[in-house]
Amino acid sequence: MGVLLELKDLTKAYDTYAVVDHLNLTINEGELRCLIGPNGAGKTTTMDLITGRQKLTGGKVIFDGREINGLKEHQIVRRGIGRKFQVPAVFRDLSVRENLEVAFNRTPNPFSNMLMFFNRTDKKRFDEIVELSGLGDRLDHKAGFLSHGETQWLEIGMVLTQNPRLLLMDEPTAGMTEQETLKTSEIFKRLKGAHTLVVVEHDMTFVREIAETISVLHLGKLLAEGPMHQVENDPKVREVYLGAEGISDAA
Amino acid sequence: MNGQSSNIYNDPKAQWFAYIVLFGVLALIPTFGTEPFQLRVFSSYAVYAMLAVSASMVWGFGGILSLGQGIPYGLAAYCMGATMQMQFQTPDDPIPSFMLTNELNELPSVWQPFWNTSVGLILALGVPTVVMVVFGFLMFQARLAGAFIAIMTLAMLNAFYSMAQDLQPFTAGFNGISPPNAFKAFGVEVDPYSSMLYWINLGVLALVTLGSKYMLQSKFGTLVRATRDDAERVRFLGYSVAYYQIVVFVFAGLIATLAGILWVMTQQYVSPTAFETPFSIYMVIWAAVGGRHSLFGAIVAAIVLNYLQTELADISDMWQKAWLLILGGIFIAVVLLLPRGLAGMFEYLMGFIKIGGRNSSSTRVSEN
Amino acid sequence: MSVHDFWTPFSAGPFVNALFLGFTLGAIWLLAALGLTIIYGTMGVINMAHGEFIMVGAYFTFLLQTEGGIPWLACLPLAFIGVAILGWIVERLLIRHLYARPLDTLLATWGVSLVLVQGVRLIFGGEPQYVAVQPHALTQSAELAFIHIPWLRIFILGATLALAAGTWAILYKTIYGIRVRAVMQNKEMAASFGINAQQVYGMTFAYGAGLAGIAGAMFGGLKTVFPDMGLGYIVEAFLVVVTGGGHLFGSIYSSAILGELNSVFSYFTNSTFARFVLFVLIVVFLRFYPQGLFPETKARR
Repeated sequence: MGVLLELKDLTKAYDTYAVVDHLNLTINEGELRCLIGPNGAGKTTTMDLITGRQKLTGGKVIFDGREINGLKEHQIVRRGIGRKFQVPAVFRDLSVRENLEVAFNRTPNPFSNMLMFFNRTDKKRFDEIVELSGLGDRLDHKAGFLSHGETQWLEIGMVLTQNPRLLLMDEPTAGMTEQETLKTSEIFKRLKGAHTLVVVEHDMTFVREIAETISVLHLGKLLAEGPMHQVENDPKVREVYLGAEGISDAA
Repeated sequence: MNGQSSNIYNDPKAQWFAYIVLFGVLALIPTFGTEPFQLRVFSSYAVYAMLAVSASMVWGFGGILSLGQGIPYGLAAYCMGATMQMQFQTPDDPIPSFMLTNELNELPSVWQPFWNTSVGLILALGVPTVVMVVFGFLMFQARLAGAFIAIMTLAMLNAFYSMAQDLQPFTAGFNGISPPNAFKAFGVEVDPYSSMLYWINLGVLALVTLGSKYMLQSKFGTLVRATRDDAERVRFLGYSVAYYQIVVFVFAGLIATLAGILWVMTQQYVSPTAFETPFSIYMVIWAAVGGRHSLFGAIVAAIVLNYLQTELADISDMWQKAWLLILGGIFIAVVLLLPRGLAGMFEYLMGFIKIGGRNSSSTRVSEN
Repeated sequence: MSVHDFWTPFSAGPFVNALFLGFTLGAIWLLAALGLTIIYGTMGVINMAHGEFIMVGAYFTFLLQTEGGIPWLACLPLAFIGVAILGWIVERLLIRHLYARPLDTLLATWGVSLVLVQGVRLIFGGEPQYVAVQPHALTQSAELAFIHIPWLRIFILGATLALAAGTWAILYKTIYGIRVRAVMQNKEMAASFGINAQQVYGMTFAYGAGLAGIAGAMFGGLKTVFPDMGLGYIVEAFLVVVTGGGHLFGSIYSSAILGELNSVFSYFTNSTFARFVLFVLIVVFLRFYPQGLFPETKARR
């Protein structure tokens, strides 16, 4: 179990105000890490910096032993980092099947893809993903017609299709009903071990359900890190979350 | 609408069949004893249809609102005009007459290559392509999108328009170039009033349409549509969005390039009007009225709208003047009330026809 | 133009004159772009009919003069009101229904421009008309050593700056401006504070159109009035907006810079070639600064 992702003094600053402030974080291979923190803690920005969506102003992102900051988004993805967005992003005009097929990125070359038709996709992997996301009976629907929860699962499925070494999930349960959240945590439990995951989440019930290690961010800095019970009882964390009430009520 | 594709409109087999019928019927037109003059008009419609297909590819499917499809079209037309002009010139009389009136006493070096017809054709294909590659690279690498693309393409189009207008000794300015003879290649003269030219134009139209359709059904096509939907998501699936946009931009440009070449063969004339802003926007109007997600619709709309325009102009001068008013009205109505155009309306109607024995595993949501 | 005397050598006097002319040219472009900037900046709408609003303003002035005998200076505010009403109607009937589809707004406004051009051509015919500029002194040129600049251009420069300042004051110093900026920042949030976004959009569009009306009244005096005249201003106006980044100050700076560059290039070569070079330069510039000269810093989620 080696180190897969390492953030060293990661900084994103506008003028004098730092959104992410010398953040250090290490993710081991096969780990499921939850990133939590109040609004404005810099969670989404951190994901943007890792994936190249925003340019960092200081520090380093080291993935699999190599520095990746400065690469373009699609190059970072090709190194093996997949990302699910906070606001679910699927292709609403395409069918569910087409969404998943587009995500099968066998070759990024447009000219090769002119000769590629969909009956040639990796059937076994495709069926696995369909089974996992539970969208089997929705394959020929336009993605725009899916429910909110289904859209989230489709996006998770699309990211999984790429078989990334590291999966970044930005609020996978946002806007979900209780049952949908439950189903999502089932999906995550099955991913655990097979994939390395970093999950940003607000829903503490969900975090409690899936998390091994939790990192708490506050004002762009790492506030605390450790297993749930340890973080929960950390006085600094309690103070940040609604005074001294503790995070259990923050959900 | 539940988004599921039980509609025959979305059946790829039915779509290919519809195209074959369309081109088959169009190919029969000369056999009805059509007047040569009328035939040339139809040949021009085929060129307009190509331009509509070009607009449909880049805007309808690629989501790139280019108002500059006239750039490759015009550049190709000027190269072709030069080639045909030089077919007329002889070593004893090497300088086109419009250059003489502009006080040029030797053939300018940019005109020299057009002595050779093959080189001229290569330039007619190559110059617009190179321009589109460079222009596309600049725009899409910068991640310009939406209205910015429209403005930049419009600006470049205008720049070329003023150049064509202003470089009088080279382009004959406002008057344009009218090569006296029909285009000759491989010892064959392509008479603009002949059914041969009509079939050439229709053949090229069929080729680019079916080629585009094939491309749209490949993974490339799905990716292009995906980019239109959400470019960032495509990027985060590991594809270079700019690369795909450049390819579809250049491909649509190539269709317009072919249209430009055939236009000059048909009309024996090229002038700065090829670079006029309204003309490039008409291409988008044809694609929009036909249905922005349908090549078939674009072709039909281009033909029907131009036919209407010609017919109305024949009735009276008043109708001819009113045409643009009508076209503007149609366009506003389509954008406002019928964003998927005639094809969208057709799809809606076809939805009422039930096809039995077909299960969903053999059909896919597929744009026409 | 002949190929041989394509390149004009440098000579101090005419060159300084070209620099002054550049400022007045920038002012003309800014005047054409002012309404466009406000509409784009506030509503994100690219109004392709803006050039035709200018054209309608010019014809309106022409009508006021020939039918009503109204002096030119009095026509300016009337052209503002007339075209503002036209803009308000267009927003009400068309644009309002397309806010969810920004690219379609661009197309629909192109349809409007087609209708306006052809409608005017049917009514007035295609031949050029003339707007008489009064007082007569404005038709003369200012002469100072080697500088020759028409007074009308200087008047336009001053009027444009006054209009820009007035627009700034409306946006930043009035309650209405606060509402506009609130809607610009966050439409939903503004709505929850009881601001009627629809009404703000309608008024903004009308105001932008009105500015085009004034521009038309002035351009009518500067050049001839004809149905297609809008096309001659619209591209430069768009480029001013795009290179400026889509807000008032950006447009002011970029129009000055573009006007100067165009004037200098024109001095050395000719105006058409200058236009070509300028447009190509802008495309290359946007490759490296896609947000324009003065990008708005926005936090992203």
